[in-house]
Amino acid sequence: MKNTIKIERAIKYLTQEALANEIGVSRQTINSIETNRYVPSTLLALKLSKVFDKSVNDIFELEEND
Amino acid sequence: MNSSQNNLRLFPRYFNKIGLGIILGIIVFMLLSFFEIFFIDKEVAKTITKTLFLISLLIFSITRSKIEDELTVAIRLKAFAASFIFGVMIVIVDPFVNLVFEGVFLLEKGAVELLISMLLFYFFMVFLMKKNR
Repeated sequence: MKNTIKIERAIKYLTQEALANEIGVSRQTINSIETNRYVPSTLLALKLSKVFDKSVNDIFELEEND
Repeated sequence: MNSSQNNLRLFPRYFNKIGLGIILGIIVFMLLSFFEIFFIDKEVAKTITKTLFLISLLIFSITRSKIEDELTVAIRLKAFAASFIFGVMIVIVDPFVNLVFEGVFLLEKGAVELLISMLLFYFFMVFLMKKNR
């Protein structure tokens, strides 16, 4: 599953640390999600969509092998 | 929404100090028995030391880390699964190792030693997975 968190973060001028603090996870977790090493739970995905003011489908996208 | 869904109900952070206290207690106990300040049977001393060490490792393994989120929960669960498999592998392989080196097909590891190995492997796996996250 790919995502656009890095882009959304850049649009909002947010660092990984700032985003992590906002949704209550570690900076490493944000990094893992951005680099597609970890797929977040629905709860975390919804928190991210709230921060970026976009729907989950706009941030996360299924790939062919998913 | 159920906020405890991703929580493992771990011990609070101050339990790390309790674990450390137990390890310090073990060291003091070992020094006292080594210098024969009080007399205690060697086997009894060994059993007490191993059991206390196991308790401290268990406390460390189920105490919250500084930052606990859903990724660290996933790491903990994967590490516990890996250490369980590691324990099973020890039980399977150990008799063969004994057969090669001592000529007896026996499992020589006791339950406490096995559990200590599993917990140490758990910490190693958590360390590796946290480093590579």
